[in-house]
Amino acid sequence: MALATILCLPESYAKTVTDPTGRTLDVPDTPCRVVALAPSITEIVFALERQDVLKGVTQYSDYPADALKLPRVGSYVHLDLERIVALSPDLCIAIKDGNPKQVADRLTELGIPVYAVNPFDLNTVIQTVEEMGALLNATKKAGQLADNMRARIRRIDRLVASTPQRPAVFFQIGISPIVSAGTDTFINELITRAGGKNLAAGKTAYPRFSEEELVGLAPDVVIITSMTRGGEFDKAMAQWRRWDTLPAIKNNRIHLIDSDLVDRPTPRIVEGLETLARLIHPELFAEETPKDIP
Amino acid sequence: MTKTGASLMSRICLLSLLLSALLVCAGILGMARGSSEWEIGAILKSLVRMDAADPVLTGIIWQIRLPRVLLAALVGASLSAGGLVFQALLRNPLAEPYILGISGGAAVGAIIGILLGLAPFPGVSIAAFAGSGAALLLILFMATGKTILKNESLLLSGVMLNAFCSAIIMFLIAITQDAKIHNIMFWLMGDLSMVGLKQVVILAALVIPCFVVVFRYANILNLILLGREMAQTMGVNMRVAGAVLLGVTSFMVSATVSQCGLLGFVGLVVPHFFRRLIGADHRLLVPACLLGGGAYMVLCDMLARALPAQGEMPVGVITAIIGAPLFIYLLKRPDKK
Repeated sequence: MALATILCLPESYAKTVTDPTGRTLDVPDTPCRVVALAPSITEIVFALERQDVLKGVTQYSDYPADALKLPRVGSYVHLDLERIVALSPDLCIAIKDGNPKQVADRLTELGIPVYAVNPFDLNTVIQTVEEMGALLNATKKAGQLADNMRARIRRIDRLVASTPQRPAVFFQIGISPIVSAGTDTFINELITRAGGKNLAAGKTAYPRFSEEELVGLAPDVVIITSMTRGGEFDKAMAQWRRWDTLPAIKNNRIHLIDSDLVDRPTPRIVEGLETLARLIHPELFAEETPKDIP
Repeated sequence: MTKTGASLMSRICLLSLLLSALLVCAGILGMARGSSEWEIGAILKSLVRMDAADPVLTGIIWQIRLPRVLLAALVGASLSAGGLVFQALLRNPLAEPYILGISGGAAVGAIIGILLGLAPFPGVSIAAFAGSGAALLLILFMATGKTILKNESLLLSGVMLNAFCSAIIMFLIAITQDAKIHNIMFWLMGDLSMVGLKQVVILAALVIPCFVVVFRYANILNLILLGREMAQTMGVNMRVAGAVLLGVTSFMVSATVSQCGLLGFVGLVVPHFFRRLIGADHRLLVPACLLGGGAYMVLCDMLARALPAQGEMPVGVITAIIGAPLFIYLLKRPDKK
């Protein structure tokens, strides 16, 4: 409590809000010292052009490049409480799926309001952008971002609806073990929305696959994320190439995608959706005039 | 009171005083060093005159570092006293809650609690206690032959149980595919960083009565060390003494494990150090382990924060790096008996 009074003027705690996780908290009217507790939060703050109030970010907050210059407060799963407090924030923005709840509880105990966002699909990512816009006095910018995201998603929906083809997609997150994404994930939504059929759809969020199973699945398209960087991708490619009867290999449809575009709930996820749509349905984009391509 | 009694009393007091001073020094050091950079002068000023110092620093010191230092002291004291009791009870210098599998059992319980989404307190704590209780019962059951406390079989049972617990933990981690894994990994390595004053007070309320019980049993521990038959002829009810000591110790250990994960070898390093230093009298060793163990843990935690250039490492890494080589040394050392 003692901390709160010195961090910001008491009368600036004018808004009482409820975050998507159901926690009610008082936030300043104009937050002036914000700490973002996950890389995606950092990205959204920058997208809202409110980086001036951003005083601390987590490890791996690497986008945009300017975020690299900000002080670090640990990684989003292992936050450094003391560093956060030392930055005297008047608002911390957390993410429900990732940040440990104890950290939010401890910060609240120490008098620092913690707003937890909870993006779990494309719609809630847009909502998150709007919520954070409202928190950070950037409603107008948030509205623009949200409109832009909605319009781009609608365009993909339209294009995908024009074809009955639903190629079987195997989305590979890890090389060893081979891990893919089940039904209840962002990646599944992106694949489906981009006009593909997710071969790993199922109850398990991040199922593991043996090589044998992969061959049995016979994917039309294989997409590998770049979390496994550099030579690792070549290794994965070589592994796949041994199965040259698979449609994806025969037609040379193994692709690499930047993992940050598909697993960070930020405005860039729409870019991920567009990239996936292009990889799964190149024919839909072939007829476009160049100016249609964002 | 006899003369020897009085001199023992004064020795206990002197030792306690010295070690308390050490604990306080360790505490001040622990409060002075953290992950955010402040000059030591500012910190000392804040410690002496709270009103004059930077309020952010004051907040950090009193609301973040103090609970952590207190927690480390309690945890170190519990684990050291736990090790001491097990070593005496089993008459085996290698006995320790971590090695016996009591900590492992508590960890399995706590991880199941975490995976079920229980609250850290009391949910996970109760699950941890259930786990360590089950581990203890299993150890006792496996070791029950002619004699409940036959030491080699008990220790071997513990080793096997520990291997089994590790396998269960690995199994649970392998079938878990979400963000909770990170929490579990950090917690498994021993982590003191997220505890508030409230939890420290709760933990203190749980373990300090156990400390008192262990101290009351110090003389009985001395007799037990002389041998089971000897102790019985001296009027010790081995069944009751064994049950009370094992129960209290595993309670203490599971309370600490549920708060801060697995911290190995603390119960090995501290009792052995003090046995070398002040001899085998448990009336001295119990207070020495409580206070000295606390100081040791506070210093280990400080190292865990000070060593890495960025962030901090789990304190369990430090205790294991110091403790495991000592364990090997004790194994290889020729028997002095």
